[in-house]
Amino acid sequence: MTRRLTITAALGLALLALAAWHLSAGAVSIPLTELWQTLTRGHADYDFILWNYRLPRLLIAALVGAALALAGLLVQGVVRNPLASPDILGVSGGASLAVVALSIGWRQAPVALIPPVALAGGFASLGLLLWLARAVWHRPAALALIGIALSALFAAAIDFLLTLYPLEINAALLWLTGSVWGRNWSHLPLILPWLLALLPVACYLAYQLDLLTLGDDTATSLGTRVDRLRLVALLTAVALTGAAVAVCGAIGFVGLVAPHMARFLAGHRHLPLIPVCLLLGALLLVAADLFARILMPPLELPAGIVIAFLGAPYFIFLITRYRHW
Amino acid sequence: MLRLLCLCCVALLPALSQAEIRVSDTRGEVVLDAPPSRVVALEFSFADALATLGLSPVGVADDGDAERLIAPIRADLDAWTSVGARSQPSLEVIASLKPELIIADAKRHATVVEDLRQIAPTLLLESYGATYADSLQSHLTIAAALGREAEMAERLAAHEALMDDYAARFAGALAEGDTVLFAISSAKGIYLHGPHSYAGGVIARLGLDSPIPDATEQAYIPATLERLAQADPDYLIVGEYDDESVIDTFAQSPLWPLMTAIRHGHYAQRDPHLWAQNRGLLPAERMAEELAALLDTRLAGTATQH
Repeated sequence: MTRRLTITAALGLALLALAAWHLSAGAVSIPLTELWQTLTRGHADYDFILWNYRLPRLLIAALVGAALALAGLLVQGVVRNPLASPDILGVSGGASLAVVALSIGWRQAPVALIPPVALAGGFASLGLLLWLARAVWHRPAALALIGIALSALFAAAIDFLLTLYPLEINAALLWLTGSVWGRNWSHLPLILPWLLALLPVACYLAYQLDLLTLGDDTATSLGTRVDRLRLVALLTAVALTGAAVAVCGAIGFVGLVAPHMARFLAGHRHLPLIPVCLLLGALLLVAADLFARILMPPLELPAGIVIAFLGAPYFIFLITRYRHW
Repeated sequence: MLRLLCLCCVALLPALSQAEIRVSDTRGEVVLDAPPSRVVALEFSFADALATLGLSPVGVADDGDAERLIAPIRADLDAWTSVGARSQPSLEVIASLKPELIIADAKRHATVVEDLRQIAPTLLLESYGATYADSLQSHLTIAAALGREAEMAERLAAHEALMDDYAARFAGALAEGDTVLFAISSAKGIYLHGPHSYAGGVIARLGLDSPIPDATEQAYIPATLERLAQADPDYLIVGEYDDESVIDTFAQSPLWPLMTAIRHGHYAQRDPHLWAQNRGLLPAERMAEELAALLDTRLAGTATQH
C-alpha cells in the first residue's frame, strides 16, 4: 500500500517537474526563475505566450493523455488481452474517418465542427462493433479481432478518400496525425467534462474488473453481471477515447503503453491502478508535446509522431519481458 | 471662431492622414489602422509578394530552411526569423516578433486563424493548391493591405507583358498538339500538377498545352507510372524532393523509354521549390525563363527551318 502511494506521489512530482519544463522550454524560452513570477504577477514579454499557448497546451496534453490511458486500462480490463487498446476497437479510426468525410463532403465546414463530428464517428464505430460482435459477445478475443478488422477497414476508407481528394483536407490531414499544435482554451471544455464525469464511473467499475480477471464464471458467481460490466466499461472507454480524439486527433500508443507501465509499477488491482495510469498517460503526452516543440525549434512535429518514437521501443521492451498480466 | 476652426483642422489632420485600410480576404474584411511595417508571411508566395514591394518580412514560415525560398526572392529581402514549418508554424515565435500583419494560408492555417488574430490582424489568402491567377490575386490583396496597390498593379502589368513576350516566343515553336507537364516526385509518390495547379497555370499562361486538360478538379494529381504514360506529355519536367524518389524507380521500368518525352530527350529535372512551392510572381518569371531554355533547341530548330 505504501509502495503504491509512494509511486503515485513520485509520478505526481515527475508530472509537476515535466509541466514546469514544458512551460519554460520552447522556441521562445522562459527562464525557470521567471516562470513563477510570470504565472502569479505577470510579465510583459512572456504573459501572452504562457497564457495563450503553453498553459492550454499543457493542460490539454495532460488531460488527453490521462483520458487515453484510462480508456486503455478499461479496455484491457475487459478484453483481458495485453495487446488491447482503444485503438484496436476502431474508435480512433471511426472518428478519423468521420472527420475526413466531413472535410470532403462539406469543404467550407467550420473548424469548430471537427470535435463533435469526431465524437459522433467514435460512437458510430462502437455501435457497428457491438452489432457485429453481438454473437461473440462472451469472447473478448473475438471482440478484439472484430475491432482490429474495423480499424483496418476505416484506415483503408481514409486512404481511399485521401487518394481521391488529396488537397481539400489539409487541416483534417494534420489533425489525423495527432497533434496538440494550435489547441487553446476553447478546446478544454471538450475533454475536461468527459474526464470528470467518467472517472467516477471507472472507479465504480474497478472492483468488478478485478473480479473479471478471475474469469467470467467466477466473476458471475461472485455477483458480477459480466455482460453489463463489459458494455459499461467499453462505453466509458469509447467516450474517453472519442473525446481525446476529438481534441487532439488520433494519438496511438498512450492507451496501450500507459496501462502496461502502470501494471508494471503498481500491480493489478484496478482502483489503485487508476491514478497511476492517469498520471502516466499525462506524463507521456506532455513529454511528447514538449519534445515535439523543442527538438528542432522553431519547427514543430506532431505529438502523435513523437509518442510513436517514445512508445514503440518501450512497447518492445514490455513484450520481451512480459510477466505482469 | 477662426481659431476654433483651425484647432479642429489640426485635430482632424492626423486622423485623415492615418485613414484605416480595409481589405477583403477569403474570410471577410480585415481592418488595419495604418500600413503595417512588421509583417509575418506563412507561405512562400506571400514572401514573394513582399519582395516584389521591397518590404522585408520580420518572420517567414520557411520550414526551417531559408534556401527553400528561391534566390531571386531572397535577394530582395533582409534576413528574417524563421517561424517554423508552413504546416505548423510556431505561434509563440510569431507572437514574440510582435507583427502588425500576419499573412496566412486559407487552407493550411484556417484552424488557427483565431489564435493568429489575437496576435495581429491576419489576412487569410490563397496559396497552397491555389491557381496561378489566385496567386496573383493574393499579391494584389497583400499590396492593398500595405496601402501600395498601385505599385503592385504596375508590377503586375510588367509581369503580364513579360509573360506575353514569352508566350509569343513559344507560339508556333512547338508542333501542333505538343504538350508540357510538370510533376513532383518524392519518396511518397508522383504528383502531376494539372491545369488547376500553380505550375499548370503558368504553363497555360505561356500558351503551352497540358496533356491532361480535363483534370481540373484537383491541383495535384497522384499518379502511377501507367497514369503518367497515359498522359504521355511531349515535354516532362520533374521536381524531385529527395535524392531517391519514386521517379528513379519509374526510370527503371520498360515502360519509361516508351514515353514520348523520354524518346525525344524532352525530359528534365528542375528545382521543386521553384516549380511547386514558391508560387509567386518572381517564380513564374523564372519558370518561363527555364522553359525557354528547355525549349530552346526546339526554338533554334524552327528558326533554321523558316
